Amino acid sequence: MIEIKHLSKSYNKGAVKAVDDLNLHVRPGEIFGFLGPNGAGKTTTIKLMVGLLTPDSGTISLAGFDNAKDPIEAKQNIGYVPDNPDIYDRLTGMEYLNFMADMYQVPIEARQERIANLLNMFNLRDAVGDLIKSYSHGMKQKIVLTGALLHSPSVWILDEPMVGLDPKSSHLLKEYMKRHCDQGNTVFFSTHILEVAEKLCHRIGIINKGRLIAIGTIDELRHGEQADSLENIFLELTES
Amino acid sequence: MKIFLTLLKTNLNVFFGISALKYRFTKSKKRLWEPILVAFSILVGGGSILTMYVFLLLGLFIGGQSIGSPELVLTFSFMATQLIILIFGIFYVMSAFYFSNDMNILIPLPLKPRTILGVKFTTILISEYLIALPMLLPALIIYGLGSQMSALYWLKGFILILTAPVLPLIISAIFVIILMRFANIRRSKDLIVVIGSLFGVAAGIGINLITQSLPQGNEGEFIKGLVQNNSQLIQSIGRKFPPSLWATLGLSQHGLQGWAYFLLFVIVSLGLVVVFLWLSNRFFYKSYLAGQETRKKTKILSNEEMVRNAGKISSPVVSLFKREWRLYMRTPIYVVNGLVGMIMIPFFLVMPFFTKSGEMDEVLTFIKNPDNALIFVFIVLGIMIFGSSMNMISCTSLSREGNTFWISKMIPAPPGKQILSKLLHSNILSLAGQIIIAITAFFVWDIAIYRLIIIILIGGLANNLINILDLMVDVLRPKMEWNNPQEAIKQNLNVLFGVLISFFVIGLLGIITILMILANITEFWIYGALTSILVLLSIPSLYGLYALAGKKYSSIEV
Repeated sequence: MIEIKHLSKSYNKGAVKAVDDLNLHVRPGEIFGFLGPNGAGKTTTIKLMVGLLTPDSGTISLAGFDNAKDPIEAKQNIGYVPDNPDIYDRLTGMEYLNFMADMYQVPIEARQERIANLLNMFNLRDAVGDLIKSYSHGMKQKIVLTGALLHSPSVWILDEPMVGLDPKSSHLLKEYMKRHCDQGNTVFFSTHILEVAEKLCHRIGIINKGRLIAIGTIDELRHGEQADSLENIFLELTES
Repeated sequence: MKIFLTLLKTNLNVFFGISALKYRFTKSKKRLWEPILVAFSILVGGGSILTMYVFLLLGLFIGGQSIGSPELVLTFSFMATQLIILIFGIFYVMSAFYFSNDMNILIPLPLKPRTILGVKFTTILISEYLIALPMLLPALIIYGLGSQMSALYWLKGFILILTAPVLPLIISAIFVIILMRFANIRRSKDLIVVIGSLFGVAAGIGINLITQSLPQGNEGEFIKGLVQNNSQLIQSIGRKFPPSLWATLGLSQHGLQGWAYFLLFVIVSLGLVVVFLWLSNRFFYKSYLAGQETRKKTKILSNEEMVRNAGKISSPVVSLFKREWRLYMRTPIYVVNGLVGMIMIPFFLVMPFFTKSGEMDEVLTFIKNPDNALIFVFIVLGIMIFGSSMNMISCTSLSREGNTFWISKMIPAPPGKQILSKLLHSNILSLAGQIIIAITAFFVWDIAIYRLIIIILIGGLANNLINILDLMVDVLRPKMEWNNPQEAIKQNLNVLFGVLISFFVIGLLGIITILMILANITEFWIYGALTSILVLLSIPSLYGLYALAGKKYSSIEV
């Protein structure tokens, strides 16, 4: 579902390597957790995946489409939520959702059903008629999530999706992610909450200074040492 | 005091963008010519206004001398400076004290309210010297040299320039603190933006009215006469705002009396600073925090409403257009800057016909002469194209998306479609501007309707070309980093490029028209030629814009 080959990106004319020769394959039916310290290159990788940044080199394939050669088809198949919900403050929640549904050309019945379901799930029904500028950070996060999932994309790419969500919404989102993957789809998400990654992800990738330094299931990362927590593994890998 | 100075240093750094500028010149090294060009434009623009102002002051001094009151030039400059700072100070203070984002960081810090407000006040004060200095220094020099004043005059003058903005700014600050304590207008930030901008527009109209009323060619004589007849008026206005009179007398009177007025001015200014600091400690947090309580305005949708609202499908271009339209129309600063400009142009056109009826009668006779009618139609066309291109919509179209541009990059709508919706939005508002000017032209200058319809069509095509070129500029160099919508248009160089593009297109069409008129080509052939040229230029430009958008959208990083 997601295939990244030799991906590199640098800033300040090559002085800072944000992503350095990254190779990654995320399979259908998999929840993939992307971990790393602050400034390790998580958000840059995600932005490269969804086309917000242009790579210096390398290729990215999403749901079978190369995001550089077939950007529109690739976008049609992904749902992306950024780490910071900067959205149109002067639209109402419903205007934003309709805009997103129009962009992805979601048919009317599916649109009505999905909007109702997602708004109920995130408890946003009472706010959807208000301007987004009156929303809290968490509410903005939820409306972005709703907009990103309206077209039922097969690949979800979420950057720190739990930040700002209340415990109930966070729990429901995790359940939703599991259901999505059970249907053979893919979720790729970055997080700093190691417990969530440990419990939710089928596989985990750890990035540090732009390089993927570890990848595998929790057991594979432990190298058989049962007592080691993900926190210890993370600290050990990123501090070395 | 140490904390005060540290905070002041940081605040000044942020306010004037010193670190950002340093970073730009030493690290990122991108578009270094931009700040240089901005500084140069300010110098040229400010320089020409300053020259006019100095001439006005010279007129006032000479006029004042002839009636034995040369100090009128001082009263006038102090009064004008302090009034400007008083009025605009209210908006600066309100924005710095109540609407700035850094308050959320500053309030939890262990700082006294008076320290925070003192720092913010000092920052505004320093920025006000940029107004006070060019307004007061010329007056001080003219009077000082003209009346051959002593060294003491220059010393007192220097201190008075430093203290002049304090008093009006303190009055504004105290007014704002008390107002915010009792009337919670923090929620109406948009309204304040509109009122502030309208004040700016009113000031523009005022200056225009004054320049309109000056007889051309002998402004100096006119001002002299005005002073001779109205010196009482200036003095009486001065008495309404006595500090200007104190400053004048402090500088112009000799001996003890002069010192007494000088000290009165300085002591009152410093005394008000103490009152301000006391009020800030007592009221500021209460008024600031009262404004933080947001009202819960919920519009709960019923099941049916939700289904109905989620049941309107639009094509991507229509939906993108709706987004452009709503975001523009719901952001007061865009509407005020864009649309007010469009409405002001016809206003300025009409005004001379009411203020200088005698001279304008000749113009009207010229217009109504059938031999000149055609020339005037093309003049109106030029005004129409210029007026409607001044809305700054197309040249800031991408820039206005700012941090939300990630959505445009994410949605599966090709850049061509997105740009088309922006062009549609710009063209519709340009057309609205043309219609306003056409209506003005119809009523004031009596232009035939069929000619108006033709020039609206040609104007529409010209504005379409201008908007395409403007959009190209904004696609090539969008300004995506801004903290408030004002910066997206007011600190955006693309607006300047937009104006240059308009001048270029109008100039090109003007030259072609003049050549055709000189060659005795008939009216309808000229219309036809202009239409053909615009269509021929627009088609490749549009293709160019599509190609450019397709190429550049992916490389714009946010």
